[in-house]
Amino acid sequence: MVRRLGPLEVAAVATIALLALAALAPGVLAPGDPLAIDPLSSFESPSFAHPFGTDESGRDIYTRVVHGTGASLLIGLAATAIGIGLALAFGLLAGFGPRWLDFGTTRVIEVLFAFPGLLFALLFIVVYGPGVVTSTIAVGLSTAPGYARIIRSQVIRVRTSPYLEAATVLGRGRTARIVRHVLPNVAGALFVLATLGIGQSIVWASSLSYLGLGAVPPAAEWGAMLSAGRTYIASFWWMTFFPGLFIVLSAAATTLLGRSLQQNVRAS
Amino acid sequence: MTRTRTLPLLIAASSAIVLLSGCAAAAPQNTEPVKGGTLVYATGDAEPSCLDPHVGGNFPQAIISTQYLESLVSKNVDGEVIAWLATEWTVADDGLSWDFTLRDDVTFTDGTPFTADAVAANVAHLKDPATASSTGYLALDKVASVESVDEHTARFNLTEPDSALLDSLSQPWLAIESPAALQRPQEVNCESPVGTGPFVVTGWNRQQSVTLERNDDYVSPPADAAHEGVAYLDAIEWRFLPDSASRYAALRAGTVDVIDSVQPDTIIAAEDDDAIEHIDAPRPGASNRIELNSSVAPFDDIAVREAFIRSANVDDAVSSLLFGTADRSYSALSSIEKAGVSEPDLFDYDQKEAARLLDEAGWTEKDDDGYRVKNGKRLEVDFPVSTNQSIPAEVSLFEQLQSTTKEAGFKVNLEPLDLSSWYGVLGENDYNLVSAPYTKVGPDVLRILFHSDSTIPAPSGYFANHAQVKDPALDAVLDRASEITDEDERQELYAEAQKTILDGYFILPLYDQQNHYLLRSDVEGLRTMPTVATPTLFDTWLDR
Repeated sequence: MVRRLGPLEVAAVATIALLALAALAPGVLAPGDPLAIDPLSSFESPSFAHPFGTDESGRDIYTRVVHGTGASLLIGLAATAIGIGLALAFGLLAGFGPRWLDFGTTRVIEVLFAFPGLLFALLFIVVYGPGVVTSTIAVGLSTAPGYARIIRSQVIRVRTSPYLEAATVLGRGRTARIVRHVLPNVAGALFVLATLGIGQSIVWASSLSYLGLGAVPPAAEWGAMLSAGRTYIASFWWMTFFPGLFIVLSAAATTLLGRSLQQNVRAS
Repeated sequence: MTRTRTLPLLIAASSAIVLLSGCAAAAPQNTEPVKGGTLVYATGDAEPSCLDPHVGGNFPQAIISTQYLESLVSKNVDGEVIAWLATEWTVADDGLSWDFTLRDDVTFTDGTPFTADAVAANVAHLKDPATASSTGYLALDKVASVESVDEHTARFNLTEPDSALLDSLSQPWLAIESPAALQRPQEVNCESPVGTGPFVVTGWNRQQSVTLERNDDYVSPPADAAHEGVAYLDAIEWRFLPDSASRYAALRAGTVDVIDSVQPDTIIAAEDDDAIEHIDAPRPGASNRIELNSSVAPFDDIAVREAFIRSANVDDAVSSLLFGTADRSYSALSSIEKAGVSEPDLFDYDQKEAARLLDEAGWTEKDDDGYRVKNGKRLEVDFPVSTNQSIPAEVSLFEQLQSTTKEAGFKVNLEPLDLSSWYGVLGENDYNLVSAPYTKVGPDVLRILFHSDSTIPAPSGYFANHAQVKDPALDAVLDRASEITDEDERQELYAEAQKTILDGYFILPLYDQQNHYLLRSDVEGLRTMPTVATPTLFDTWLDR
């Protein structure tokens, strides 16, 4: 039985659809060039011509926020994919391998857990240098241990279930058992985790850009825009408010959707 | 099917506001300076890695060391050299030796007496490669040695006449430290340099603040100071607050008394605030400029350099970002240098001319992104930016130039870097554009910045000629100008040198190197040194 969607969930889905449109076809929502400068109309407050105002170089903040969606969402998605992919490999190894391998991988995961995720991401960037690609990988890597632990427990739950015992007795190979039985049963939990994770990844990636370790200027990326506007926060609030609003909106929408999926999975 | 809804409960909490009626009397209006109190200074310049300005020698070191170190001479507001630790000086007829008569009543704060031997030890320290000095080292280029004629007369022996010697010695990077303290290991001297100044370094909490306490035996203010005797303040807390918005917020809240590196929009906002005052002190020496590295492609071609400069719309950027707090510069020198030559015509914004120049230089093709291409190579230039030295408004200015030069087909790669990585790429000659502040008293800064000798790194690894100008004729003019004392001929030679530099499109001048300070209006008697515009808190007192 699937619960009916509440108004919050509808709003979340609508927000995500809008963000997806902004990411895939930014030109539809904002036809302008996000990098086009117009120094003589810098620091203009929100108006009809510039709904979100302009920044220090006269760039239209609305256009930049829309065009920044792709970068921010892509970083969020890619980082989550990296995190979940790694976690899946780790979780399957631990849950399905021999006991010593389970013991080994679990200890490694526990060690990684000792590092706060963002600190781990910062360490990675210090070693490999700042940039969009490194910050994506860094966020992905630092979220992997958390996912891995959950996946391992899911795998163990499925492994000890009667139908898997039946499959083993029937002589199915290990690969067949993983592909036919384990993965489909873990998929539900994975999907929920991924949805919840995207929001977190967007926030982390923005944090790294805010610290000057992600996207480089003048790229339209929410965290970088937030950082650029910070200097002027006392005089020109719109430079930080709108990029910040969209970080909050996208993280809140994906988290809400993830929670709602989680409840549906539990209910079924 | 009926559905039940849980309505959220809204709880309104009422809070009582207790007004503590204190003795918030009107601000005291003392006419006589008040003694005592601690002033909190929040700096946005980078935290120095060493508090001894002999080591390296940058502006963050200069502003803090002005409080505890002193130089042989200083300058007054009219630009005349005045007495400080040295009372008189004479130069030999051949210009190769200078005798400085020193004050005989001065003691370093560690008890060591100030003598001619101390001056000799300081010059030796600056010239010692192990010190890794850049600014002081370059300024003492022509000084071979210092000997003591008697206890209070120091003789500077020069390899060539140096008309800029007094200007050089007036700078904080050549301040005189206790020779006994200099004997200590460098790490120790970096933490607690010992001078003769009105304050003493008593603590350094890294990433936080430096504590400076009054020197109660102080006797040696420069000739233009407002009072004699010891400083009025008990102590200074020198705080490092890199974020400009928090710095201004702290000043408005009154948790700090003085801030520097003020953003242009903040200066304008502060004009409406009666509790805050503004001091504008442009730095001497070079103007704030972008240097084009002429030693590597594509800027080894003068036409490409001119094309870049023609396609950079600096005027609009300056007016949009600086809110009228600074004027556009067309000179290699700061507007306060009398020898400065301005050539506005050379820097007209002209995209058509830029396109024509690039076509002529062979950059005729364009790729899909609109960038020029020659022999399969993109017209790409690297621009490392030191985020410690360039305020955010300057970084935005570079972004705007990146955008306007893109129209002509330049791909400018802006790379924000911290100070040490930035020095790193400069040292490896891995840059095409750079904006590096350089402050030196007097037009001799041209020799430091554009003489081919300055492409050779100092022992610290730093070299100042980032445009990498190597022109024997220019070298000859600069050498001659630094040797003669006839003021008119010097001016003429410096004018000639500047013409060569500007005509060669080695630099794109932006505006004067800015020094803006905001202070609480109850901070009295703060002034900037006429030498390199560093603040001095010797005459400062708190009217509260």
